[in-house]
Parts: sequence; C-alpha cells; structure tokens
Amino acid sequence: MAARGKGSPAEGMERALSKVDDVPEERVIRALLDNFPTAVTDFKKLSKGVVRARIERRDIHKACLFVRDTLGFEHLSMISAVEYDDRFEIVYHIASWSQRLLLELITSTPKDDPSVDSVSSIWGGANWQERESYDLMGIKFSNHPKLERILLPKDYLYHPLRKDFKGGD
Amino acid sequence: MAEMWINMGPQHPMTHGLWNLRVKVDGETIVDAQPEVGYLHRGIEKLVEGRTYTQVIPITDRLCYGSSLTWSHLYCLTAENLMGVEVPPRAEYIRVAAIEMQRIASHLMWLAAYAADLGLMLGFIYTMRDREIFIDLLQAMSGSRLTYNYPRIGGVAHDVPPNFERDALRACSYMEKKLKEYEDLFDGSKVFMMRNVDVGLLKKEDAMNLGVTGPPLRASGVKYDLRKDMPYSIYPELNFEPATHPDGDCYARYKVRMDEMYTSCKLIRQAVQKMPKGKWRVVAPRNAPVGTGLGRVEDPRGEGVMYLVGDGSDRPYRLKIRSPIFVTVSAAPKMLIGYKLADVVAIMGGLDMCIGETDR
Repeated sequence: MAARGKGSPAEGMERALSKVDDVPEERVIRALLDNFPTAVTDFKKLSKGVVRARIERRDIHKACLFVRDTLGFEHLSMISAVEYDDRFEIVYHIASWSQRLLLELITSTPKDDPSVDSVSSIWGGANWQERESYDLMGIKFSNHPKLERILLPKDYLYHPLRKDFKGGD
Repeated sequence: MAEMWINMGPQHPMTHGLWNLRVKVDGETIVDAQPEVGYLHRGIEKLVEGRTYTQVIPITDRLCYGSSLTWSHLYCLTAENLMGVEVPPRAEYIRVAAIEMQRIASHLMWLAAYAADLGLMLGFIYTMRDREIFIDLLQAMSGSRLTYNYPRIGGVAHDVPPNFERDALRACSYMEKKLKEYEDLFDGSKVFMMRNVDVGLLKKEDAMNLGVTGPPLRASGVKYDLRKDMPYSIYPELNFEPATHPDGDCYARYKVRMDEMYTSCKLIRQAVQKMPKGKWRVVAPRNAPVGTGLGRVEDPRGEGVMYLVGDGSDRPYRLKIRSPIFVTVSAAPKMLIGYKLADVVAIMGGLDMCIGETDR
C-alpha cells in the first residue's frame, strides 16, 4: 500500500499562497517573506499546521528572533543536523502553542565550513541541542556559551554521525 | 563558608540510571549545578542507518525501558508520514489503548522510584505491584514484558487477545480505585509533603524558554499537551482534558502525573469501547521515498519528536530523535539553585529521568 494518504507530505506542497491572510500557515509564510525577502529561498505547507521554510544561514539568528517575538513561536522543539553529499542542513522545529503551528526552518552550510549562529540566547532549550549537534555532527555554533562535547568523551576525535565515519554495522 | 563541588553520581541512589550531577554548594545551599550525561550513549542514531526500516522498530524500543512502546509507536508514526501509509482505524485504536497503558505503567514506575527516594518504601511496593497489571495486559497483546516490538509501519503486529476489552476495563476500574488509595498514602505523609511542597520551583517563563515539556511544563501552569493541541492518531475523537497545575513545584509535578493516570484510564476505556472491527495492519512499502518525515507525540516524559530522512533505499538516511528528558535536564540548574543539597533528590527525582532516551 504505497498510496499516499491524507496528510502525507506530498499533498499541498505546490499550493500557491491565497490572497486571504487568515489561514495561519500562510500568514507565517507571508510574514517571513515580507521581512526576509532575500533570505527565504523556499517555502511549503507540509500539512495542517506544519510549515517548512528554507532560509540563508546569515539571517538565521535574526529570523529566529523575529519568529519568537513577532510571530509568537515560544518553543524550540528540536535542532537536527543532516549531512547530504554537498551540504549540511540544520533543521529547526519551532512550535507555537497558542496558534498550534509548527515551523520547520531549514538552513544549509557548505561542507568545508559547517558553522551557523547559535540560537541559544533566544531559546535556552537550544543550548544542549546545539552541543549535541556539534558533538555528533561537527557543526560549529558561533556565539554559543559553552560549545563542548556532551554525549561523547571530551578527548574523542571524530564526529560519528558524519557519513565518512564508518562505525557500527 | 567555602564553596565546593560535589559529584552526585554516576553511581548514586538518586540518579536512576547512569548520569552525574555536579552541584556547587555553599554550606548546604546549592549555588551552581551541572548535569553531565552521556554515560549510556549507544549511538542509536548511527546504528539505525545500517538497518532496514522494519529492523529499526526493536531498536527504538530500547530507547527507554520504562516506556518503550511510545518510542516504537513514534518511530512507526514517523515512517508512515515519510512513506505516506494510512493506518487502518482498528490499529489506531489498539495503539492508543496500548500507549495509554504504557503511560500508566511508566508513571507508576516513576512513582515507585520517587516514593523510595523520599523514604516511603511502602509506596514503592504498592505501585510496583499495580504496575504489573498493565505490564500483563501489554504482555498479552505483544508477547513481552518491557520491550514490546508491537507497533508496525502500517498498523500493529497482532490483533488484541481474546477478552481484551473485559480485562482492560477491569484494570482501569481497579487502577482508579488504587489511585485514590495512593493519593491518601502520599498526601497524608508528612515527610512526603515537606519534601515536595515549594521545592524546586520552575517559573512558567523559564519552563517555556528552556524547552521543558510534558508533566514538568504542565505543572508550571502551561496547558500544552500534544494529544490535545497537535492531535495525532485518534486523539481528536476521544474526550479528555490534559492535567495542569499552577504551582510549578515538585508537588505540582507529582500531582500532574497522578491526574494523568486518571486521564489515561479514561482514554483506555474509550479506546477499547469504541474500537471498530477490521484490519489491524496494512503492508507498508519496503523502500521509503526521497524526502523527510516528522512525528511528534506526547511521551510520558514530554514531547518526543523524530525526524526521518529517506533516500529511496530500504534504510533510513538519517533519524534524529528528540528526547524530552535531554532538554528537560538541561533546565535542572534553574530548579536546583537556591535550594538545599537534601532537596536534590526530590527535584531531580520529580523529573522522571530516563537515561536510555537521554543518551540514545
């Protein structure tokens, strides 16, 4: 049963923005586009209440501050780092409790310079999650208060979640 | 008085697992704290990259020995989101009944450990005894006691056993009676109340900023429960109200978990009574498409999130797991600073630490 059901990510991806701004997902996209016209490169409504936006890494701190203070996303849920062939992607899942929305903010860094501004001054919950991404994937978060290894020993040499680290299997 | 650092852990009766809490004390007052985790890091996120999608399910079970079913359920939810699989309604009802039983079992295990920490050994014996009822029910469903390997991508492994509805309803009525008994036992204990009330205050703003989720967040007065606010599975069809408490101290966290067990009993009752007939599993594709899948559930300990990247093969390209306790424990200094060294056990015990999911 490979049929795509309701709420699958493929549905509604290519839908254009409507004129009305009372759809909460589209209001978020519009606000991001208006305030970061050059930095937002891509946006999609994934499903009900879930929005994805891609943003240039130079604006990530400003965008997060804007998202928290103006759009009311008070909870940083998760920071994930994903390695692709040509880039690292850092994915921020940011939730708004009052509007019941989830924003998936994606920024990418080149392979030879995996660094991005820290958002731990905006959400305190980002502190350990950024340390974890540094520890396992080797992403450097600038202006982080204490960027040290957290799960692995301090004298460990590798970043094991990178694809060139052959371990496990 | 001279300040000094004290290591509580990695081997300490308070830690319930393997982690270290370094506290800086001035006399008996805590002036700084540093939790240290990582002793149980097994590299699960790397491990799953070498397994097929089905083989990952038993690995995600090992994330937390206390509530393994919620984690394998979350993984299946994420994989279904990635593959676009629709689960038959009967399977959704079976899953909800199972994860609510798991929630009660997990909260009871927490209560047992918490009671033993605070010198109420009777509470440990009682709660561990009654936890067995739900473990037995889950064993009848899945065949094992703690790591169930029960959900599948596209449903659940088996149908429910004969007489499941009768047994589940009976267990719920028994549990509700017993919960009243526990409340009398704990609230009536002077020692328990002295060590809980007004200890480990976590303000609403701090809880929100530090990413605290689950019972500790709701105990700080934020009414946020993913089962209600970002509903998944069949929760929108069930009638319940998430438990909250305005105080934000250890007693509030205890109270929220007690109220959640009543809520879970209500949910199990509704789920088994409304359970439709039909298929409990559909066949899921072997390979996932190129893309990403996201799953968010309300774990007994907070918000569990998984982010799954598929590359078209039969193995996950990347699985990121958000452990609720990993983020909650980073907020521990906020709760500890200013209290006495003797309060550490109550404060950290009240968070329901599970190291398996924290370290992954």
